[in-house]
Amino acid sequence: MRFPPTSFPRLSGSWRRARCWLWQAGLLLSAAGTLRGAPAVEEGWRDLAGYLFHDAHEVFLRASTGSERGRVLGAAASLLNDSPVTAAKVAEVEAQLRGLLADRAADEPAICARYLLARIAHLHRPAEIAEIEAGYRAVIAMAPAHPLAQLAAGKLALVLLYQRPDLGVPARLAAAAELAPIAGAAQLPETGCAYYRALAGAALYYDVLDERVLAWLVRADVLETHDIVTATSLRLQLAEVARALGHREQALAYYRQFLATAVSTDNRYRTAAERMAELAKATP
Amino acid sequence: MKRSKLRTWLVAGLLAGAYLYSAGRLLLRPGHAVVDSHVEVIRFAHWQIEPGVREAFNAIAADYMALHPNVRVEQMDIPGRAWKQWLRTGLIGGTAPDLIEIASYENPDDMLARYFTPITAYLEEPNPYNAAEPDLHGLSWRQSYAAELVPNEFQHYFSLNLLEYYGAPSAVVTVRVFYNRQLVTAALGADRPPATFDDFIALCEALARRAEVTHQPVSPLAGSAYNLTQLTDGLFNAASQRDALAMDISRDLEMTRHEALINYVRGRWSLTTPDVRAGLQTVEAFGRYMAPGWSQLNREDAMLQFLQGRAAMLATGTWDAGGILRQADFPVGAFRMPAFRPGDPKYGRGMLGPVSEANTFATMSFGLTRTSHHPERAIDFLRFLTSRQSNAKFSRISTWLPVIKGVPVPAVSAAFRPVENGYVGGINIRFLGSRANEVLLQHLYLLSGQGASADAYIAGTRRLYDEINREELVRLARVNLGTLRQKDSVLAGIFQLERGIGLARGKFDRLAANQLTVEAERLQTLRTLADYPLRP
Repeated sequence: MRFPPTSFPRLSGSWRRARCWLWQAGLLLSAAGTLRGAPAVEEGWRDLAGYLFHDAHEVFLRASTGSERGRVLGAAASLLNDSPVTAAKVAEVEAQLRGLLADRAADEPAICARYLLARIAHLHRPAEIAEIEAGYRAVIAMAPAHPLAQLAAGKLALVLLYQRPDLGVPARLAAAAELAPIAGAAQLPETGCAYYRALAGAALYYDVLDERVLAWLVRADVLETHDIVTATSLRLQLAEVARALGHREQALAYYRQFLATAVSTDNRYRTAAERMAELAKATP
Repeated sequence: MKRSKLRTWLVAGLLAGAYLYSAGRLLLRPGHAVVDSHVEVIRFAHWQIEPGVREAFNAIAADYMALHPNVRVEQMDIPGRAWKQWLRTGLIGGTAPDLIEIASYENPDDMLARYFTPITAYLEEPNPYNAAEPDLHGLSWRQSYAAELVPNEFQHYFSLNLLEYYGAPSAVVTVRVFYNRQLVTAALGADRPPATFDDFIALCEALARRAEVTHQPVSPLAGSAYNLTQLTDGLFNAASQRDALAMDISRDLEMTRHEALINYVRGRWSLTTPDVRAGLQTVEAFGRYMAPGWSQLNREDAMLQFLQGRAAMLATGTWDAGGILRQADFPVGAFRMPAFRPGDPKYGRGMLGPVSEANTFATMSFGLTRTSHHPERAIDFLRFLTSRQSNAKFSRISTWLPVIKGVPVPAVSAAFRPVENGYVGGINIRFLGSRANEVLLQHLYLLSGQGASADAYIAGTRRLYDEINREELVRLARVNLGTLRQKDSVLAGIFQLERGIGLARGKFDRLAANQLTVEAERLQTLRTLADYPLRP
């Protein structure tokens, strides 16, 4: 069986116009649909904050709202840990971040880009210590009051404490301590507390136990961490260091503070209580 | 042609028959309707197939269903051997149940972030099922826990990287020595669990002597490497407490695993350190009482030996208590492995006193999956499960220790209660890493049998420890590098989300502090490895 050939009637002018409007309406609808389907940049940041690097990267590639520089930053930050992480991907991220610095802008995306570039040099690809140090110093110089400068200063302190090949122990401690005004700032009190504890921790690691160690721990304590485990450990460190330096009353006060605030799951309670009692009995 | 048609009809008939049979079975099966739009189904899965646990969960689920007739709670008990594959398949396929038991070694951070819902906000609200409890009324769900779910390095309910709670635990477990009271009474003339390490050795000797006299093949200790390490952990920890305090780098009265490894590589302690050697000598002292061929046996074999009366004592976790108490046809007692006396001339020179079990963390935590069809209902059931009343019921039926404030410890579980009034632990050579654990298990034979010798163990493994402790530091530095790198991206995300609402004390600040601390530890490790190379 054969079908007869199809014959289309010629469209009149009004029909042609109606068809044209239909096409335009269809196009508009599909564009609106595309826009509705495009995720917001915030969704990408949320994914990134939740360790969903691939999802975040997909969002940043498709995002249509928010600033373009923010979107580029998000795409780079998410690609940095998008599995599988490769040297080529890290190089691509670096290129994207350098692009954000290309017009010498000093806005937030630029500060974030500079910080991430320093981190990439430090942790994500092999680099000389001088380049790492310069990277962190560049972040601090760019915006010393910015929270990322505080992070950079803390990381730089660690480079000085453990990685600079040319420094002896006294110079390491002195150089890292010089960063205190930024690295130990109260704008990020938990981070500041971690910095002072890292300074004290490095000194103790190098078998240095002097008044500076006690002072750093005191400054960490002043920042009043809300992490109960860190807070109680800090009080014990203060008690033990004060005791070793012969500050009996100060040590007793910190032991008491520890015993008053230790959680019920802290194994150190009885050990601390007995060390305090032993110190209290000793002749001042 | 005809034959082919017949075959087609036969196949079609078979298929139709199979379909009708299956449909009929499904429709006529006893129990609940397969799909009922008025019923909310909550499924929870775990791997605790030890006797008592499933029964306890069933009883609590029945209570909940009586309270909420439109809810059906289904328990899914998956054997441990199949757990990993089952879990992955369910999560990836989107078919996972509403609540799943979580553990940090089974659920890495990326899995938690992708497939589980944080329950931090829920935990900070009161548990309505404790409303009738005057002392818990004003407390949050988290504060209703005995230890208030304080995060630490080893627990499973809180992610230290994601800074969120993902699980609500139901129980606490400890390690105890279970004993056959008839055999002990026969050997000692009284049902007298040992109070000191010397008593324990004397009991082993009495049991061995009785077996010889009666010609019954009953060994004092049920054997398997798993069970032996349940004993050695406490003894190693007790023997070197003073050394741990003396070498505590950070001076916070606790030598962490990281510090122990750093100190080892720096040459500050070794297997020949007198108190570490004393720890090994304690094993030498009772290793000779293990059943012959014990090193070839596994945990189940040891349990069987004990239940069949072929061994008088079994050291294991209290998670096995329900099974032991239900299956043993003899009276069972339990005691904590006694340590030696501080100052004991042979073992106690480095000892402060009994090791504290205060930091025994709450376990068997259930997490809420993102694919749950009824997340609010699932949380409601979880609150019910961990209410004081239900936790008491769970503890009573399972014999596992309770976790909620004010829940009485059942009389049968009294010996399992953590001993909190003790001192910090010392150096446990098994806990320095997975390779350290393997080396100990592979060479435990040197510490058992008639030729047991701590010195032979030291001579046979000393070089191995030099290598594996360095390797463990390298491994830890590598693992830390991975998480530090990830946090760079994560912090970028949190920074953008929090910068408008204030960063101080927020997640950004806390995670940045955590990253700085971990990075300091990693660089300390690398410094140590560079400054103290392995000597040929």
